[in-house]
Amino acid sequence: MGEMADNSDSVNVQGSAAQSTAEPSDLELVARVRGGDDVAFEELFNRHRRRVSLIASRFFRQHEQVEEVVQESFTKAYFALGDFSNAQEASFAAWLARIAFNSCYDELRRLKRRPESSLSNISEEESAWIKDQLRAEGPGADVLTTAIARDLAGKLLSRLSPEDRMVLVMLDAEGLSVSEIAKINNWSSSKVKVRAHRARVSLRRVLERFL
Amino acid sequence: MAGKKRDRGLDERLDRLGREVLRASAANEDAADALDAQPFLYARVRSRIAAERERREEGERWLPLLGIVWRAVPAMAMVAVFAFVLFWSTSMGTLSAGNLSGESLLGTRDAGIEQVVFADNQPLSSDEVLATILNEDEQGVSR
Repeated sequence: MGEMADNSDSVNVQGSAAQSTAEPSDLELVARVRGGDDVAFEELFNRHRRRVSLIASRFFRQHEQVEEVVQESFTKAYFALGDFSNAQEASFAAWLARIAFNSCYDELRRLKRRPESSLSNISEEESAWIKDQLRAEGPGADVLTTAIARDLAGKLLSRLSPEDRMVLVMLDAEGLSVSEIAKINNWSSSKVKVRAHRARVSLRRVLERFL
Repeated sequence: MAGKKRDRGLDERLDRLGREVLRASAANEDAADALDAQPFLYARVRSRIAAERERREEGERWLPLLGIVWRAVPAMAMVAVFAFVLFWSTSMGTLSAGNLSGESLLGTRDAGIEQVVFADNQPLSSDEVLATILNEDEQGVSR
């Protein structure tokens, strides 16, 4: 569960620290927001904005898109606080992460409806880079550090459907388990597995064009 | 067999590159850091919440009107059906009453027949007929 677990740990750490410094817990803040206390919502926002930004940055490279998702996620969370139940959700952080992922998915779908931008055109240099990587037998250690790879990755992934991209990022980048993805998306575990398989095949086809 | 092996090897390489591409795409903490450093982000979220609240209130204002329309449409449809049934039954009643009248049965207006029908309806006695004839004769003489 990667960062989500880390985040819940940090929330727990914050919770234990809260006892010593009398900082209110997330649940107390949620109760206060429900009572009309907007300062409590600002506190929740400051605690979780980093996590939501990180989720959004997994899917979007442009700063404006990341901010759009952060704003949308917190706006949705504000109006859905009445539905938040600590009994059903693991924590407020997990609940908010679910909203953030759904906002990313909505944004991906919105972008997909737009006509293809010129940014998604892959240059000769990038095409050659993909060929080199495919020829290399060993693991491409420099992929993460190469600037070209980051831009190219965004362009390649923009060719996948929003569902495929969502599942692959959750599995490979976020390190979420199948059951966690199923819970976030309200899908069955088998649907996640099937979708992940199809997504891998789609990504393979996208890369195969450069052979 | 050799082709399958080659395909499997290619698929593995494609999958490996695919995973690396995904990780490269996701390694975008700079964007999160930049957003984290923004001082007015919460102010923008608050203004968005305010706009959303306004939009919802606007929608709620229309909701009662929609409720009225929602109830009025079936009521108006029922009134229309009732009016049609009333009109239809009235015209059918007129037609059936017309069928029973002698005039409709005989088809034409004729004074003689009218008299027969009248005579059939109210038969005159022979004294009344005699009195009528005498009365007419007296009127003729007086003229």
